[in-house]
Amino acid sequence: MGRTSLSVVFAGSGGSGAMTAGQLFLQAAAAAGYYGIMTQLFGAQVRGGESAALVQVSTEPVESPPDRYELFVAIDWEKIDQFAPEIPLDDGSIVICDPAAGQVPAAIAKSKARVLTVSFDDPAVTRLERALRGRRANVCAAALVATLIGLPSRHLDSALIKLLGKKSAEVFEANKRALKYGAQLAKTLPVTLALDDAAPGERWFISGNRAAALGALRGGVRFVGCYPITPATDLVEWLAPHIRELGGNLVLAEDELAAINMVLGASYGGIPAMTVTAGPGLSLMTEAIGLGVAAEIPAVIIDVMRAGPSTGIASKTEQSDLNIAIYGSHGDAPRIVLAPTSIGDCAYTTEWAVGLAETIQTPVLVLSDQAMGQASGAIPAPTRRPSPGKRRTETKAGEPFKRYAIGSDPITPMPRPGTEGCEWVAEGLTHNEAGLPVSAAAAHAAQINKRAKKLAQIDPGADWGECWGDGDTAIITFGSGVAPAREAAIRRNKAGQATRVIALRLLSPLPRKALRDALEGTRRVVVLEQNHTGQLLQYLRANDAVPASTESMARPGPLPFRPAEILSRLIEERA
Amino acid sequence: MNLAVAEAQGCALKAKDFSSGAHPIWCPGCGDFGVLAALERALALLGRPPHEVVLVSGIGCSSRLPGYMNCYGFHGVHGRALATATGLKLARPDLEVIALGGDGDGFSIGGNHFIHTCRRNVDMLYIVMDNRVYGMTKGQPSPTTESDWDSELIPGGSRLPPFNPVAMAVTAGATFVARGYSGDPQGLAELIVAGSKWPGFAFVEVLSPCVTFRPEEFEWKRKVRHDGVLVENDRGAAVSAALSDDGFSLGILFRGKGPRVDHQPPTTTLAAIEEQFLLPSPDMA
Repeated sequence: MGRTSLSVVFAGSGGSGAMTAGQLFLQAAAAAGYYGIMTQLFGAQVRGGESAALVQVSTEPVESPPDRYELFVAIDWEKIDQFAPEIPLDDGSIVICDPAAGQVPAAIAKSKARVLTVSFDDPAVTRLERALRGRRANVCAAALVATLIGLPSRHLDSALIKLLGKKSAEVFEANKRALKYGAQLAKTLPVTLALDDAAPGERWFISGNRAAALGALRGGVRFVGCYPITPATDLVEWLAPHIRELGGNLVLAEDELAAINMVLGASYGGIPAMTVTAGPGLSLMTEAIGLGVAAEIPAVIIDVMRAGPSTGIASKTEQSDLNIAIYGSHGDAPRIVLAPTSIGDCAYTTEWAVGLAETIQTPVLVLSDQAMGQASGAIPAPTRRPSPGKRRTETKAGEPFKRYAIGSDPITPMPRPGTEGCEWVAEGLTHNEAGLPVSAAAAHAAQINKRAKKLAQIDPGADWGECWGDGDTAIITFGSGVAPAREAAIRRNKAGQATRVIALRLLSPLPRKALRDALEGTRRVVVLEQNHTGQLLQYLRANDAVPASTESMARPGPLPFRPAEILSRLIEERA
Repeated sequence: MNLAVAEAQGCALKAKDFSSGAHPIWCPGCGDFGVLAALERALALLGRPPHEVVLVSGIGCSSRLPGYMNCYGFHGVHGRALATATGLKLARPDLEVIALGGDGDGFSIGGNHFIHTCRRNVDMLYIVMDNRVYGMTKGQPSPTTESDWDSELIPGGSRLPPFNPVAMAVTAGATFVARGYSGDPQGLAELIVAGSKWPGFAFVEVLSPCVTFRPEEFEWKRKVRHDGVLVENDRGAAVSAALSDDGFSLGILFRGKGPRVDHQPPTTTLAAIEEQFLLPSPDMA
């Protein structure tokens, strides 16, 4: 048995093409049948900052960040000090660099990684040509690594066409030459990193953000109001042309206040509607989320979480919006909060969110995060779909229609405007059954109870979350914490320390019974989350859903959890 | 068109067909009663039945209006009526969408949405009942209040120049701008009909006195004049006229060009969109 995976970093200053190198390599590996993912590391600068493509390819599905990178390819060394501490290398790693770019910086050299030097400049290309058409060191680097893992050149060619096929013929030819040169370089290096053949299986090439967008379309979302915000923008950029092709609308609003209120307006009109944002935008939307709760308007809000509070770190991940997602808004405004458990599950969870919003007639938040949303790659094709949910619109004939009627069923019909005889006003003031504003105590209590009962009657079935394994140690987590937790558990299980992972897809209302069942037989419970205050653990404690001895494994972002960190913290906490 | 004539000709719908029968919370003599009456008349004249009309409002005395009519309605949060109405109209172009509210809702907390809704030119009507005061919170200066108007919160006046809704709307790109008066429900109904029929965003500023906190606004009935001059297309001229006017000339003041909002039918299927994600199985041969 040979090598089954490779983790590699393509690094350079912004504009060096490091991201393109990563994509080219990953696309080529995907075309050859491998699984793999790529995450992006960059600073706040739009151009000229630091950038690195972090790529893993594997013969089996892979989603957890690796403990260390085996290969580090420096397209240049500029700005490296800004992110070197965030890329784990060790004396088993290999650094490939061009001496023309200067000495290996101390921040990298101190890892004691083996350094191999190459010249990314093809001697067959004249200096004038290089000056005119660029160095293409990135394309060369991608081809070098692809050849090292044993990819046939045709997969590189097809990836190049996919990524850069729209460039002029001249530029394309120059890139092809760089590919060829990179492949030749690989053969000069004294290493072999050839991968075994990949396990067969249907695969998708997708990012978490695109999967979420697809889930929304599958659920029937045909209106999106949004305002650009990192790291959620690429979700709506993918969605915009496709929702229009399906006869829907995507509106670039003037701000997040407008975006969420447009969504409520469209949804009132009977069209499933969604907005997409990150923490600062969600903060602005909280008043209207309360309106959606009070007026009982379906809406989906995707929050691709980034480091906060305030502007925080726009381009990097964190899981610190749990509190605002569950509680944010004045008054008692219970709502539904979901979290995808993997890149592929972003499609499932978002589609489920649409169904729940439509069925329960209330806002549903989907807590994705930058690490999951902006990770893209070749993943097992998502085969499962949630059962569809539909808005109830039919009223009982012969009875005067009351939109907010109090009865045995808290979910009351919501006829579409245009339906004769059912004219109703969506009302954010405390209202009576007919929807007219009142300030009477009894009506206030009746409507609050009605809305609480709607949430109480959600039966998530198997959709509440996932539980892998039956070890007596349990790691409870959500979102991008799931993949590294699972990898840590796999290693502990191999070492005879049986560990289970519980991923909550339904965060609010908390599926207490399912969680209790999932915790059956555990002796040790830890809650893994990426924020400083332990928001998930506090929430689970407040709901009396975990044992008193439950340990917190919380730390803020923006660095991803790596399996080794989880393993060592499991040992430390115990000690 | 003259409403009296239209009614005599026997419109299928009557103004009372649009009343919910609920009793308004407005103070006796409030200008908003006149706006409500004008709106009911206008809708009867337009011939859109109540179930095809949606009234969208924010927060404030005037924003209570949707509850007093038997159309569909959306009484949302403060300042966001235009955003809600935009989403609704884009999602349901078949409906008659009318946003309405007061000067605080529309020009202060909702000022940004006012600007961008004018630019966007979505086919709907916006009625602002401007009484130049925050009435529901009992008398604070609004963006349209005169700079020397004395109040408990700001004795001696805000000293801020009043916001000019007509000039702002024209500047921001509105394609239909009019001014009406609540004391003239018939004239106002005609403006509402014209605005509703306008194929784009129509803004009607309505002078609607607050008799409780601004009793001097009773005098508006002597100040208003039916002498508004319609400027077509020339935004510079329309802004100039709006800025030099005393704010009491009534009528359609501007009509111009703006972007068209088109609704496209579906051109593909979801299954076709999903295909882009599927990786072809590798040819290992």
